Amino acid sequence: MPTDARLELFRLMLLQRTFEERTSALYRQGRISGSLYDGLGQEAVAAAAGLALEDGDVVAPLNRELATHFARGVTVADAFRNFLGRGDGPTFGRDGNMHFGVPARGVFPLVSMLGNLCPVVVGAALAFKRRGEPRVALTFLGEGAFSVGDTHEGLNLAAVWHVPAVFILQSNGYSYSTPSSGQMVNTNLAERIQGGWSIPAVRIDGTDALLAFETIKAAVESARAGEGPQAVECVTLRGHGHAAHDDASYVPAELRETFAGRDPIERLEAQLGSEADAVRRSVVEEIAAGLAEAEASPAPDPAAMEHGVYAQPL
Amino acid sequence: MRSDERVFLLGEDIGHFGGAFGVTAGLYEEFGAGRVIDTPIAEEGFVGAAIGAAWQGERPVVELQFADFASCPFDMIVNVAAKTHWRSGIAVPIVIRAPNGGGVRGGPFHASSPEGWFIGVPGLKVVCPGTIEDAYGLLRSAIEDDDPVMFFEHKGLYRRLKGAKPREETRTPLGRARIAKSGSAATVITYGAGVELALGLEHDVEVLDLRTLWPFDREAVLESVGRTSRALVLQEAPRSAGVAGHILALLAAEAFELLDAPPAVLAPPDTPVPFAPELEDAYLPSAATLTCAIEDLLAY
Repeated sequence: MPTDARLELFRLMLLQRTFEERTSALYRQGRISGSLYDGLGQEAVAAAAGLALEDGDVVAPLNRELATHFARGVTVADAFRNFLGRGDGPTFGRDGNMHFGVPARGVFPLVSMLGNLCPVVVGAALAFKRRGEPRVALTFLGEGAFSVGDTHEGLNLAAVWHVPAVFILQSNGYSYSTPSSGQMVNTNLAERIQGGWSIPAVRIDGTDALLAFETIKAAVESARAGEGPQAVECVTLRGHGHAAHDDASYVPAELRETFAGRDPIERLEAQLGSEADAVRRSVVEEIAAGLAEAEASPAPDPAAMEHGVYAQPL
Repeated sequence: MRSDERVFLLGEDIGHFGGAFGVTAGLYEEFGAGRVIDTPIAEEGFVGAAIGAAWQGERPVVELQFADFASCPFDMIVNVAAKTHWRSGIAVPIVIRAPNGGGVRGGPFHASSPEGWFIGVPGLKVVCPGTIEDAYGLLRSAIEDDDPVMFFEHKGLYRRLKGAKPREETRTPLGRARIAKSGSAATVITYGAGVELALGLEHDVEVLDLRTLWPFDREAVLESVGRTSRALVLQEAPRSAGVAGHILALLAAEAFELLDAPPAVLAPPDTPVPFAPELEDAYLPSAATLTCAIEDLLAY
């Protein structure tokens, strides 16, 4: 993998980590409302998936995939605007935290109902296939989504229609406070996808950024080449609780121990040498500048609340 | 489909079989499997896929085999299709066709009129034609519209209505009611199969065909009732679950002083649709129960 690409992978991961450290502080200060999610320990998956996509591809990230947004060209300022509920943010203050998409960047906004986005990206991929366009649609699924019918319907449709969709399974051990063993008997999602829907699927260490990138990139290109849907299961451990209010005290120390020394950012940084320092400095500056820009943005106007309910008002 | 490549169909048994009610008959032969797509039995999945395709610029038209099954993709419709434009600016131009209505001995799961589940949902449009002309004109308008549209087709009318095929340029504007028959003593506000029933009345009543149930044509309702001073809402959805409550709320708030009688509703009771002929016949509005309801209204 070229050095530039490795540095970009590192930059995207660090951007997510640094952004989320900042939003965590803002949340504790009461400057961010609602709830707050982060992707500590899963940044490699988010960055690798985002970087594996080409310009015309589309993606529906969940709430631990901020780096995917950044890889698509979503700005730090726009992401902060959404967390701060600003009127000129991607959802105009109408939705918060990770619930945003940027149409011009091919990003569909997160829907809270688990599994919903699976059939949606299958439909986007169906559109590409119908028109003969070499484009790919990608989304993420966690263990919780594997208990939901939408996921099974979406995977089945993808396989039956043989569309260029890529599914990234975020196996981070938990669905809120419920361990994977409480969601399913066979927790090997790649095995289930391969065996259940005949969708090629591989299972990898999701804390290894280079491996994640190479594996997801190969899946994306297979889908683009007309080989049908593809899946990559990335095994990680959710670093924090489900959301900021959850201290994750239910995660056993022995499980945490197995992930010791596997911080994805530190792992990649160890291979990069001194060039990483310049990236670290630029990320700190980018986060500070983006937050300042977002904080200077206007609050949403309650008088405009009913605008846009319909694309074509009657 | 001939005029717009972006239009394609998704649904169960709509291909070679032509759909449970034959609505798509011949389309598979003309447009092929790429545009008339038989789906697995997965309403949540293929409505979701329609949303994704619409996101990428297509104009999918989905067929639900029976409107009752709108419960299965409900989440996709109300949470994804309806909310996406408002919160992101991404338009979701999909049409979901759903045969509703009773009279075919379909029972609790094949004869419902669940349009009330969708009336009042911000971001959705809900339509239901009562004539051949509107079945065509509303469908063309719905497909050309940039928002998600629930398109209810009364399955009794599939067989009962007969007439010439409308001209290709026919469009029925969404959101506009139509005076199906002029009259002066009262206004019957209805839609779908109710139009046919109301046109059978021999009284001097105006029949207002809503055509679009949400957002419905408030001005047309107020204008007609303003002239007749009496109103009856006729619907096949259960009394408490359709458009009637919204019409009565509008009349109470904005036509109170124009009314000569309390506005009336003729609708089935608040039960699921029953199967046995004795029960279903008693359940559905009929010429006899409509005549009684109008006479009560006029006598008030």
